[in-house]
Amino acid sequence: MDEIARKPERRGFLPIHTNGFDRGFIAVVLFVAIHLFWMRFLEQNVPLFVATILSVIIGAIIVARG
Amino acid sequence: MRSSAVGWLFLAPTLIILFIFGVVPFLYVLVIGFTQWNTFAADPTMQFNGVENFRRLVFDTPFLHSLWLTLRFAFFVVASEIMLGYLLAQLFMRDFPGKGFFRTIHTLPLVIAPIAVGATWRLLTVPGLGPLPYYFRTWFGYDLNIGRYVDQAFMMTVVMDVWHWTPLVTLTLLAALSSLPKEPFEQAQIDGANRFQIFWYVTLPMLKPAILATVFIRMMDALRTVDEVWMLTGGGPGSATRYIGLYIWRVVFPKTDYGYGSAMSLITLYLTIVMCWLLYAALVARRDLKRVEA
Repeated sequence: MDEIARKPERRGFLPIHTNGFDRGFIAVVLFVAIHLFWMRFLEQNVPLFVATILSVIIGAIIVARG
Repeated sequence: MRSSAVGWLFLAPTLIILFIFGVVPFLYVLVIGFTQWNTFAADPTMQFNGVENFRRLVFDTPFLHSLWLTLRFAFFVVASEIMLGYLLAQLFMRDFPGKGFFRTIHTLPLVIAPIAVGATWRLLTVPGLGPLPYYFRTWFGYDLNIGRYVDQAFMMTVVMDVWHWTPLVTLTLLAALSSLPKEPFEQAQIDGANRFQIFWYVTLPMLKPAILATVFIRMMDALRTVDEVWMLTGGGPGSATRYIGLYIWRVVFPKTDYGYGSAMSLITLYLTIVMCWLLYAALVARRDLKRVEA
């Protein structure tokens, strides 16, 4: 009998089980939240593109390691 | 391979319809959200203005106030409906004289159109005409006037929504309760569990998926309530019941500011999705985590 090959369980830093779609979703949610927060509180001192760069980096980390 | 192709063929009409009526309008609103577009302005053309609508939105005090009111409304409505719906579902699980009649009467508000519900409650609460202010004054000496008092207007919108939608929760939970197996309850009784322990450790965990689904449905509905509240209070007194749907309506229709209205709609959708996801993550995903750790 052939045993079904199972992938080793993924251990990301997020406290819940996620698949790629979940992590992409969390990244998009954070992307929007960071931009709204930035526009409301920080944009007068720091330009918005910093928020974009920060969000992309955080999103990439979540998708890769979350 | 062949069966997969046949499957896609059968699914195709649904997918096409979903794409046309679901995805395309969403993308259209998404595009409009990044534009300045007022068809009745001096320049009626659609002009791309980047994130300007969203920048305006985060500083728009009336919008943020509406958002806060809506979240408060959704919390009160959903919590009340779930608790009341559960109690009524438990009641309808038992046998009592006239059970079928009461169940039918209880379900009737569900089939009434929201606009008619608003009109009915408006007639019930108009001072000098409706019975509710009359009886409140006669019996309790209480001045019920939702056109004057902010808290009364808010509470009346909550009561109206609870009256309208609790039967949905009752029916859902009644179906879920009816489908629960009897063995765990008998086992718990044999083990000497009291009623609260049976509720907390047996009934509630087994009902959790049904409760969660109901909370999602009711929360999404509560966050986009417009017509009932519009008929009952018109968003007043002042802006006391101007929930987010009413605010968007005012921006989009009388003011014809489509770009800003679309941006607000997108943010409302965003918040709805995030809240549902957080609830899901807190209740369902955490349970999965525990199961793995055990």
